[in-house]
Amino acid sequence: MVAIRGLHISKSYGHYRILEDLSFEIAAGECYALFGPNGAGKTTLLRILATLHRPSAGRLEILGRDAIQEREVVREALLLLAHGSHLYDELNAVENLSFAMALRAASPTDREVKVALDQVGIGAFAELKVRYFSAGMKKRLAMAKAILAHPKVLLLDEPYTSLDETGMVIMNRYIQALLKEGASVVMATHDRIKSAEVADRAGVLTHGVLRPLTREDLKTCDLF
Amino acid sequence: MIFFNVIRVVAWKDLLCEMRSRETISSMFFFALIVILVFSFSFSMDQQAARELIAGILWVAFAFTGIIGLGKSFSAELQNDCLEYLQMSPAPKGAIYLGKVAANLLFIVTAEVILFPMFVIFFNLDVVEDLPVLLLIFFLATLGLSTVGTLFSAMTVQIRAREVMLPILLLPLAVPVMIAAVEATRGALNGNPLALYRHWIELLVVFDVVFTVVSFWVVELILDS
Amino acid sequence: MLNTIIRKLQRYKGWFGAAGGLCLGLGLYYGLVASPPDYYQGEVVRIMYVHVPLAHTSLLAYTVLFLGSLWYLWTRDPVVDNLCHAAAGLSVFFTAVALITGSIWAKPTWNTWWTWDARLVSFAVLFLILAGYLMLRTFIDDPEREARYAAVLAIVGFIDLPIVHFSVEWWRTLHQPLSISMRGVSISKEILIPLVLMGIGFSILFVYMLIVRTQMLYLSSLLNAKKGRLLSQVHLAKVEP
Repeated sequence: MVAIRGLHISKSYGHYRILEDLSFEIAAGECYALFGPNGAGKTTLLRILATLHRPSAGRLEILGRDAIQEREVVREALLLLAHGSHLYDELNAVENLSFAMALRAASPTDREVKVALDQVGIGAFAELKVRYFSAGMKKRLAMAKAILAHPKVLLLDEPYTSLDETGMVIMNRYIQALLKEGASVVMATHDRIKSAEVADRAGVLTHGVLRPLTREDLKTCDLF
Repeated sequence: MIFFNVIRVVAWKDLLCEMRSRETISSMFFFALIVILVFSFSFSMDQQAARELIAGILWVAFAFTGIIGLGKSFSAELQNDCLEYLQMSPAPKGAIYLGKVAANLLFIVTAEVILFPMFVIFFNLDVVEDLPVLLLIFFLATLGLSTVGTLFSAMTVQIRAREVMLPILLLPLAVPVMIAAVEATRGALNGNPLALYRHWIELLVVFDVVFTVVSFWVVELILDS
Repeated sequence: MLNTIIRKLQRYKGWFGAAGGLCLGLGLYYGLVASPPDYYQGEVVRIMYVHVPLAHTSLLAYTVLFLGSLWYLWTRDPVVDNLCHAAAGLSVFFTAVALITGSIWAKPTWNTWWTWDARLVSFAVLFLILAGYLMLRTFIDDPEREARYAAVLAIVGFIDLPIVHFSVEWWRTLHQPLSISMRGVSISKEILIPLVLMGIGFSILFVYMLIVRTQMLYLSSLLNAKKGRLLSQVHLAKVEP
C-alpha cells in the first residue's frame, strides 16, 4: 500500500525555486532516507509533507487522501519532529507531553507517559521544566511525544543531531518498532551510517531533483 | 467536544506559562505605570480637569499595555518553533484562536484591574458606586481589542518587523473600541446615569460579536497554509 | 477566467483612458468655467467637483479590493492578488488626494483645516488601514502568504469601516454639531452636471489605472519567476573551488 504519493510537486519561495517537479511514492511500513547538500530543499520537502507549506504546483496524497483538501484528516495521522523541539520552556516534560497530545485529541494515561519517558531515558526528569533541558534531552522528549502519538506517517528532520550514542540507538529502535506497526518514516539526514541501519530506500535531493540510491551507494559512493 | 477541549487546553497552557514566568503581566504593569507617570507630568491637573481627561488617559495606557500583551501572546510561540506544532496539529485553528483570546483577555483585564487603583490614587478620583459598570466596560472593550489583536498577533508574528506592524494594523481598526470605551468610562466616572452612555456599551457588544465571528472565520487563513 | 477578462479588457484599455479623460475634461470645463459660483461658498465650491468624486472613487477602489480579496481566497489565483494589490495602491492614492482637497475646501468654508467629522475620520482611518495594508505586503517574502494575509486584512478592514463611521458620528453629535453641513442645500443642475461628469470620469480613470497597474504587477511577478533560480544551484555555485 502506498502511504505517501507526491506527483509533480514544486515549490517556489519568493524569487527562488526550492523544489522542481518531484514525484515519489513511499509505501506503508517503509523508511525513506533523504540526503542532499545544505539548501537542497530537504526541510522544505518535509514541511510540505507535514502540510505546513502548500506546494506551488503538484499533488500530494497521504494515506490515500489529498493532503491539501483534506488536511485536517491527514494531520491526525502525521507527525513531524523538526529542528525546533516544539516544547514550551516553562512547562515540565509531562505537561509538555499532555499539551501536545491534547491538541491531537489523545489522552494518554499517566502510566503510558511514564513508560514513554522511560523508553527514551529521561524518566528521571519528568517533573523538570524544559527550560533546564539540554538539546539532546529535548530531542529525546520530542521522541517520547512521537511514541505517544502513534503516527501513521512520521517525518524526521535530522533525527540524529544532538543525540548521544545511546540516544541514536533508542531512536533507531523506536523507528524499527514503528515500521513494524506499518507506519511510514521519512527522514532528512546527513548521517549515512545511522540511517542505513533503518532505511529501506534512500534518495539524494540536488538541484531540486530526487535521485534514488541503492543500499550500496549509501556506504560507498560520493553522494552529491 | 474536542473543540472546547482545545480552547481550554490552549488557554490553560498560556496561563500556566504566565504564572511561572510572569513575563507578560509584569511588563504590562510596569509599562502602564510609566505611562501614568508621564501623563501626570505632562498635564498638571486639578480634580476637575482630571475628571475630563482621565478616561482618555486610562484607555491610552490600557491600549498600549494591551498591545504588549497581545504581541507576546504569539511571539512566545516562536520559542522552539512551537507555532509550527500548533499549525500542523489536527486541532481546529479556530479553537486555538479562541483559547488564545481567552488567555489574552484574562491577562489584560487582570493588568487593568491592578492598574485602575493606581489611577484612582494618582488622579484623586472617587469611584465606588459605579465599579461594576466600569468592570463591565473594561471587560467588553478589552475583549474587542483581544479579538482583533489576537488575529493580528498571529499574523504579524510570521512576518518581518512584527513589533511595529501589530499596533499599525490594530489601532486604526480599534478606533470604535477606543471611542466607545473612553466615552462609556467617562460617563461612569462622572457618575452619570447609565441611560446616558448605555449606547456606547451596546456599541462595544456589537463590535465584540462582529469581530469574534469574523476573526474566528478568517483565522484559519492566518494560522494554516 | 480573470486572465481572459483582463486580457480582453487590456486590449481596449486605451478607450477607457480616452473616455475617462474626455469625461474629466468636460467635467472640469463645466465645473470651473460654465457653472456659477455658489451663493454661500463662492468660488470655493469648485473644489467639490474634484473632492467628492475622488472620495467616491476611493470607496469604489476599496470595494473592488474587498471583493477581489474574497475572490482571491476563493480561487487562490495570483492574478486576482495582483488586482487587489493594484486596487489598494489606487485606493490609498485617491483617499490621500480626497483628504487633501477636503482640507483645502474646509479652510475657507469651515475656517479650519481639520474637524472631527464622521466622514473625515472614516477616511483618515481608511487611509491608515490601506497604508498598513501596503506596508504589510512589503514585509512578507512568500508571495502566496503575502496575498493571503493581505486579503484577510482587507476583509477585516472593510467590515470595520461602517462601525468606525457610526461610532464617530455618535461621538460628534454628542459634543458639537457641525457648523455647516451640506445637508439641506438643494443641489441645482449647474452643480449636478459637473459632479456627475467628474464622478463618471474618475471611475473610468480608476478602471483604466487598475488594468494598467494589474498588468504591471503581473508582468513583474513573471519577471521575478523568470529571475528565480533553484536555491541549491545558487548555493553549489558558490561552494565550487
